[in-house]
Amino acid sequence: MTISRRNVLLGGAASAALLPLAKPARAQVKEVVIGVIYPLSGASAQIGVDAQKAFETAADIINKDYDFALPMAKGEGFTGLGGAKVRLVFADHQADPQKGRAEAERLITQEKVSAIVGTYQSAVAVTVSQICERYQIPFLSADNSSPSLHRRGLKYYFRAAPHDEMFSTAMFDFFDALKKKGQKIETLALFHEDTIFGTDSANAQIKLAADRGYKIVADIKYRANSPSLTAEVQQLKAANADVLMPSSYTTDGILLIKTMGELGYKAKNIVAQDAGFSEKALYDAVGDKIPGVISRGSFSLDLAAKRPMVGKINDMFKEKSGKDFNDYSSRQFMGLIVMADAINRAKSTDGEKIREALVATDMPGESTIMPWAKVKFDELGQNNNADPVLLQYNGGKFVTIFPPQAAVADAIWPMP
Amino acid sequence: MTAATIIQSLASGLLMGLLYGLLAVGLALIFGLMDVTNFAHGEFLMLAMYLTFFLFMFWAVDPLLSIPLVAAGMFVFGAVIYLVIIRFAMRAKANIGMVQIFATFGLAILMRGLAQFFFTPDYRSIPASMLGGKTISIFGVFLPVPQLVGALISIAAFGALYFFMKKTDFGRALEATREDAGAVALVGIDKNKVFALGWGLGSALIGLAGGVMAIFFYIYPDVGASFALIAYVTVALGGFGSVFGAFAGGIIVGLVEATTAMILPPSLKSVGIYAVYLLVVFVRPRGLFGSI
Repeated sequence: MTISRRNVLLGGAASAALLPLAKPARAQVKEVVIGVIYPLSGASAQIGVDAQKAFETAADIINKDYDFALPMAKGEGFTGLGGAKVRLVFADHQADPQKGRAEAERLITQEKVSAIVGTYQSAVAVTVSQICERYQIPFLSADNSSPSLHRRGLKYYFRAAPHDEMFSTAMFDFFDALKKKGQKIETLALFHEDTIFGTDSANAQIKLAADRGYKIVADIKYRANSPSLTAEVQQLKAANADVLMPSSYTTDGILLIKTMGELGYKAKNIVAQDAGFSEKALYDAVGDKIPGVISRGSFSLDLAAKRPMVGKINDMFKEKSGKDFNDYSSRQFMGLIVMADAINRAKSTDGEKIREALVATDMPGESTIMPWAKVKFDELGQNNNADPVLLQYNGGKFVTIFPPQAAVADAIWPMP
Repeated sequence: MTAATIIQSLASGLLMGLLYGLLAVGLALIFGLMDVTNFAHGEFLMLAMYLTFFLFMFWAVDPLLSIPLVAAGMFVFGAVIYLVIIRFAMRAKANIGMVQIFATFGLAILMRGLAQFFFTPDYRSIPASMLGGKTISIFGVFLPVPQLVGALISIAAFGALYFFMKKTDFGRALEATREDAGAVALVGIDKNKVFALGWGLGSALIGLAGGVMAIFFYIYPDVGASFALIAYVTVALGGFGSVFGAFAGGIIVGLVEATTAMILPPSLKSVGIYAVYLLVVFVRPRGLFGSI
């Protein structure tokens, strides 16, 4: 039999007609690709490498069946997408906003990611989220805390965690509460690095101090990763404020505490804007010099007593990384869960559909690993129901001391 | 601003400056010897700091005692780097300057990557040591002991180096090879041997600096980056190839940094250093004590 052109066409038409029977009507999604942008090399590589473990833990929970009261835990993969698995593509931005921009573009155009989660440094989140906006791909700030990020009118920007104004408000609420108890807190010294994280944090603190009648006696902006902080510490020492409020990444945080010791300056109290002050590396290096230091956070392991799944998930993370969840790794973990939950409800990998699902997110606090009331985004993409906590470093671990409803111990004030 | 804060700033600046000088002199020495700028200088420092850290971690050797060991280890490392990389980079027939830049730059990236892979990017530090965290106070001026010892080591190293360059045969061979490598070969001095020893010596000096810095600074794969820049401007300011220039350059950089931070916001303190450097370029482009 000779195969004529007509036969081929007929055959093609016949198989095309049969296709809908062979496959479900909706295109089957085998996997959901999510881009994860972090500093995997360079000065903050340690953060990125730990973040990778936090995201892998979350991906593990999404892809396998776990009996946790956490969205995406039950059942394998995305149940809304016929059990499709999540695949993470990690990209390295080296803490450089321009590299972040390029990597975001690569993830979207080459790796065809459906969403992006990032980025540790707020300065990088600025560029990454702009690229996502242009390609209409949802971006979720897992752990960026600059308040200006969600105020840029981006439609595809979301943040489940608190920002630095919320964190700083908690600090000042805490000061007010202490003052009511008769403690003397009048003067504050700010010590902050010179990128968007440090500047935004300081701006929020300056505004709050003015509103609530605290005097800022030193406002020191320093260059991140400085070889020496001697001059800066001298100014802090001369000011000798009631509370020292650093907004510093790990490297500068370690050097700050070491230099303070060398120059004979013991701060009366330290209330830190997280970052370096929630990292194990800092406490390994200088923890003995700062017993009683307070840092804001959005996570505390003592929540495990009330919510056992927190302890179990922490164990899974610890097996991969050798570390306990801290303020960063917990937010990174939660970031991916929130994004995956939206994709699951969207039943689609289309950017606009995922965005709509994110807008509709309403996740009760009990089904997260955080001390948050719930996850629900406002019209700017910010979750205002994420209550920050203050943690005190005491006897080698962190204890929640504020707000009262989350506290497990009273604050030791002044610092011992 | 009180007199005490000014004196404190200047004292801290001087101590840091002497350390900057020690950090930079290896670079100046190698450049002076063979016109090669080692772009992996910061990574050599990183390696020296990790050596100090591991000696402390695994064998509980106090950093103060391990400084000579680290310097010796770095001597061998420097000589080997010359023999297996730089020697070949110098054989390029065209664009020799570019080949050297990329060879040492590539080495820097490689060392950083290997350090991140093998040592992990975690921030390390030596929690307790004979000198760490100690400080002495003279009339309210605080002098941290590690930096003080670092400054003394720096002065001693520069003194020894001066003696070595001027009074010993090998020092004179170094000097002669720098002046005219071809003529030196005629009198039977092996150029490669002299260069290898020069690299060894330059690296041993950064080993001294790394040993001191490991006491009071955090250690991680990228730690060299912020110090390398200081080392380059110190050498350029003091004069390329001049050992004494590195000494003077270091002190100037330390003092200018401290003074700038008193006048301008601290985030701008490196502005002073580069302003002074540009001024020097304007009047004396080869650097203050440069002879080339």
